[in-house]
Amino acid sequence: MVNPILLIAVPLAFAFSIPLFGLISKRAGRFIPPVAMLFNLVLSIILIPDVLESPVSVFLSGFPPPFGINLYVGPLGILFSAVIALVGFLVSIYALDYIKEGAEEKYHMLYLALLTGATGVVLTGDIFNLFVFFEILCISSYGLVGYLGNKAGVESAVKYLIQGSVGSAFNLIGIALIYGQFGTLNMADIAANINSVSPNQLFIPLVLFIVGFGIEGAIFPLNAWLPDAHSSAPSTISAVLSGIAIETGVYAIARVTFTIFGASDILLFLVLLGLLTLLAGELSAFSQNNIKRMLAYSSIGQMGLILFALGIGTDYGIAGGLFQFINHALSKALIFLATGYMIYRMGSMEISSLEGIGKKMPVSSLCFTVGAFSLIGLPPFAGFPSKFMIVLSALEKHSNLFIVFIGIVFLGTVIEATYFFKVIQVLYFKGAPAGVPAEKKTEISPAQETIKDRGVITGAPIAALIPMIILALLIILIGVYPKAVDEILNASSIELLDRVKYIQGVLR
Amino acid sequence: MNFLTDYIYYIGACGLILIGLYILLTKHNLIKIIIGISIIDTGVNLLIISIGYKNDGTAPIFSRPGLIAENMVDPTVQALVLTAIVIGVAVLAMALTLAIRLYQHYGTLDMRKIKEQRW
Repeated sequence: MVNPILLIAVPLAFAFSIPLFGLISKRAGRFIPPVAMLFNLVLSIILIPDVLESPVSVFLSGFPPPFGINLYVGPLGILFSAVIALVGFLVSIYALDYIKEGAEEKYHMLYLALLTGATGVVLTGDIFNLFVFFEILCISSYGLVGYLGNKAGVESAVKYLIQGSVGSAFNLIGIALIYGQFGTLNMADIAANINSVSPNQLFIPLVLFIVGFGIEGAIFPLNAWLPDAHSSAPSTISAVLSGIAIETGVYAIARVTFTIFGASDILLFLVLLGLLTLLAGELSAFSQNNIKRMLAYSSIGQMGLILFALGIGTDYGIAGGLFQFINHALSKALIFLATGYMIYRMGSMEISSLEGIGKKMPVSSLCFTVGAFSLIGLPPFAGFPSKFMIVLSALEKHSNLFIVFIGIVFLGTVIEATYFFKVIQVLYFKGAPAGVPAEKKTEISPAQETIKDRGVITGAPIAALIPMIILALLIILIGVYPKAVDEILNASSIELLDRVKYIQGVLR
Repeated sequence: MNFLTDYIYYIGACGLILIGLYILLTKHNLIKIIIGISIIDTGVNLLIISIGYKNDGTAPIFSRPGLIAENMVDPTVQALVLTAIVIGVAVLAMALTLAIRLYQHYGTLDMRKIKEQRW
């Protein structure tokens, strides 16, 4: 069996070798991220059958846990690492053609470092190691948000950095308090001894962790950085930040709450937080004119939905939440990639400027539509089974409170559907009717002038179309045949709930 | 007095963290905000170190005979702090770089005047 540590070591080594490749050829750097991520994807898929049989725990430098640092590769970790590698691979192919200006090498280096950090967060079994990987993720994303170096990018990066570093300071205080009480940093060891101290002493570390990871995961009162950062970064980075980085934050909350603390008392709080996040995100998205800002708020709403599903606390509900993780990673990455070239061709992020683009960039618009339908939860796409699972598991709680909550989730979905359909309508049905000559179009709407200035609008290049089509096909495939991910989702939700098995898997 | 001598490092660490948070919440100059972040980092590092500290402890190395393991300070936390300091420096460098860029664009570091991006 292959050692899962390669999942972290190889992309990290590749990331720092990119400047060396740059010495050979200026263009070589851009081909490294696809290679590294393809390696990760293949390795993750190879590992899945082994991991489903029994989780793998590897430790470094000969010190068995709890003394050494260990990686715990359970179903949940390998699921996330596969999704990260898949999205990272496809987005890096898209970036081959998309990233043309600025410090290219540094972009690709930071991009790989971000994905390495995310992979490390989901695989590690040591709480301080989790913090370190989280910082790798955060610092690279600060750099990537400000990558274009323009006014908006730098300003958003500064805001993101200030809030992010406060979050990581909170995490570190939480870790310090945990270490002070248990004298260990190994998650399984902490989980095994969690009942030996009084719950009051655990409350503060738990709150600090939820706040710290909540800032990265854009939970409602802490989400101020996200719309700025996601809308001013390049579209490839928005795709990775939305699809991977914030999901990693929510993953960390789930890992800390379920595995380490086993805190079933605060699940209702998580549910309420999730609903608040859902409503705040969807309502703000509804009133946006800037398409990337709208998508960023929609990501906040989706994180709320995932948190709601995790907070239900039954194995079926958590499986639904994890399904929504996959769905959101694929769909939101697809939507951001599709809008990337639309914005690039039209030179504007206003929704109204995208009028009639459905006929000029048919594939991009179709991909946008697939992603949007999947996020809304329409039947043939991946969003339908995931939302169905979440609603069904909430109904199975048999409490009136949860029926009200389901109503709120449906309200959020309706709002979501409204603003996505608004955009789809602009894409396909607005603008001059077919057959009117181009000269007359410019008279009708001033937004068309940009089109004329830039000459003929062409579709996205082939390197951008392939990843988009693959993502769209995957969404439809999972939507039509959700059983494909059924087994690993159930195993992952059991991993989160069954703490005894986790502890035994590590400490043996 | 006993309370002070026992907990002086914890009090100092909490004080530093609170001072840092106060700076973050009340100051508008970006450089001051970055200093605030740095003070928070220092406070957290001091907190971690003080968790492993022992009064009259020795270094965790058996450098001469007669040393007892119980009297040694905890080396794990020092390793943690080393990592945390490095991360803190990286964030600080990143923040200062962005501050230079921000000044080039806006001609000011007053965060009240830099509000192009909102809602």
